[in-house]
Amino acid sequence: MRRNNFVERSLTGAISFLKDSVFADEYASAKGFLQSLDPRIKAFTFVLFVVTAILAKSAVICLILYSLCLALACLSGIHMGFFLKRTWIFIPIFSLFIAIPALFSIFTPGEAIFTMDVAGLKFIITRQGLSGAVLFVSRVVTAVSFVVLLSITTRHFALLKVLRVFGVPQIFVMTLGMCYRYIYLFLEIIQNTYLAIKSRVGTSLGYKKGQHIVAWNMSSLWQRSYYLNEEVYLAMLSRGYTGEPKLSEDLKSGARDWAWLIFSVAVSAFLLMAAGRGTV
Amino acid sequence: MHIPDGYLGPATCGFFYVAMAPIWAFASRIVKKTLSAKQVPLLAIGAAFSFVIMMFNVPIPGGTTGHAVGGVLVAILLGPWAACIAITVALVVQALLFGDGGITAIGANCFNMAFVLPFLGYYIYKAISYGSAVDSNRRVIAAGVAGYVALNLAAALTGFEFGIQPLLHKTASGQALYCPYGLNVALPAMIGEHALVFGWVEAIVTALVIKYLQKQAPELLEEGKV
Repeated sequence: MRRNNFVERSLTGAISFLKDSVFADEYASAKGFLQSLDPRIKAFTFVLFVVTAILAKSAVICLILYSLCLALACLSGIHMGFFLKRTWIFIPIFSLFIAIPALFSIFTPGEAIFTMDVAGLKFIITRQGLSGAVLFVSRVVTAVSFVVLLSITTRHFALLKVLRVFGVPQIFVMTLGMCYRYIYLFLEIIQNTYLAIKSRVGTSLGYKKGQHIVAWNMSSLWQRSYYLNEEVYLAMLSRGYTGEPKLSEDLKSGARDWAWLIFSVAVSAFLLMAAGRGTV
Repeated sequence: MHIPDGYLGPATCGFFYVAMAPIWAFASRIVKKTLSAKQVPLLAIGAAFSFVIMMFNVPIPGGTTGHAVGGVLVAILLGPWAACIAITVALVVQALLFGDGGITAIGANCFNMAFVLPFLGYYIYKAISYGSAVDSNRRVIAAGVAGYVALNLAAALTGFEFGIQPLLHKTASGQALYCPYGLNVALPAMIGEHALVFGWVEAIVTALVIKYLQKQAPELLEEGKV
């Protein structure tokens, strides 16, 4: 039976997740252009850019938006190596792989631009296939980059509060804020449990034994979570919770935020109009 | 199964936001009415639990690992309406803070994983385990079957959403604008990998967790779900 290193993988996964979040928080508290904007306006404009990328029917629009995204990352003091690694791995690279078969006439018939013979089989790359694949990958990387940039330049609690701007009910926003805290608590529990397993039985276990360990971990995590509920409720009561969620509204916007909003709306409108006229 | 931004066209994204809006509203109303103030943190704890379930690497034969979605498990533990809210919250946190799953695709992702998956799984579990004792083996089997069937249906739905993109959005010259593969490719690809690998991971994890809870904390499997 082949041995499985799932203990090590789980540990690496949890540790890298926590490390990434610490990095993200470091960037969010650093001084930079995006960090200085009101999170509400920043979130609105970034969603607008993502929607523009989704509506775009030309890779040129997506590439213009992607360039803007990279420029904003530079202006905000984000290390380019970290940003490119964080944005390209995993979704855009995965999208690149799944776009490759769509280049060929078997999936996308059309005008042939390149033909190759492999072991007597003819493979034809079509113009429609190539432009479709370029558009697909550039749109995905642009959208993912904007979302990641928003997340690493905004304090996560502020970002969750921003959801009120989009009309999300208070009960959801409160649950999101609480959920966010528990994720870190649960990850710490998982990390400690797996470290204990590693120190006692090692990392090399058969898959059946491994599945039992994972299921046991999940069920004990649920048990601990369930019993935590009462303690959390008592803590909420001691802080003055009356049954209705209330969120502090400490976000402020200034002239720079409104200028950024006008610029972003103008850029999106210009790109969509230019695309409509067939200029790009 | 998390659909990223750029895979679905605006019409599909909009449709699923519109479809999910009444479901979210109804779920909030039911949960608010049924949950006592004391149980409010349970929603957040359930959401965090569904978030971290996806981070557990489950060993599978051949030396590799997969991960479960846990939608059916959360529905069995919390009830389908509370699970709908908990999984929605987990998906929003994943999309907004960690870039996993698209912002424009939150409606579609929630329809597949926070509505179809928990509801279908929960009612399959209820039907098979109907009238059985909390510690009976029938409940373990019911959880496994529910996990397998519901995940495969949710995956088929995701494949369908991918597959209709070339039909909905194509230029006059035949260039695909979003997911480039039609139903003949997207459906078998999604169903195949889930029927052969991930469905089994979901089934095994759901069944084993229920089995452990039967032994360790059977009171958590009692009725009274939302």
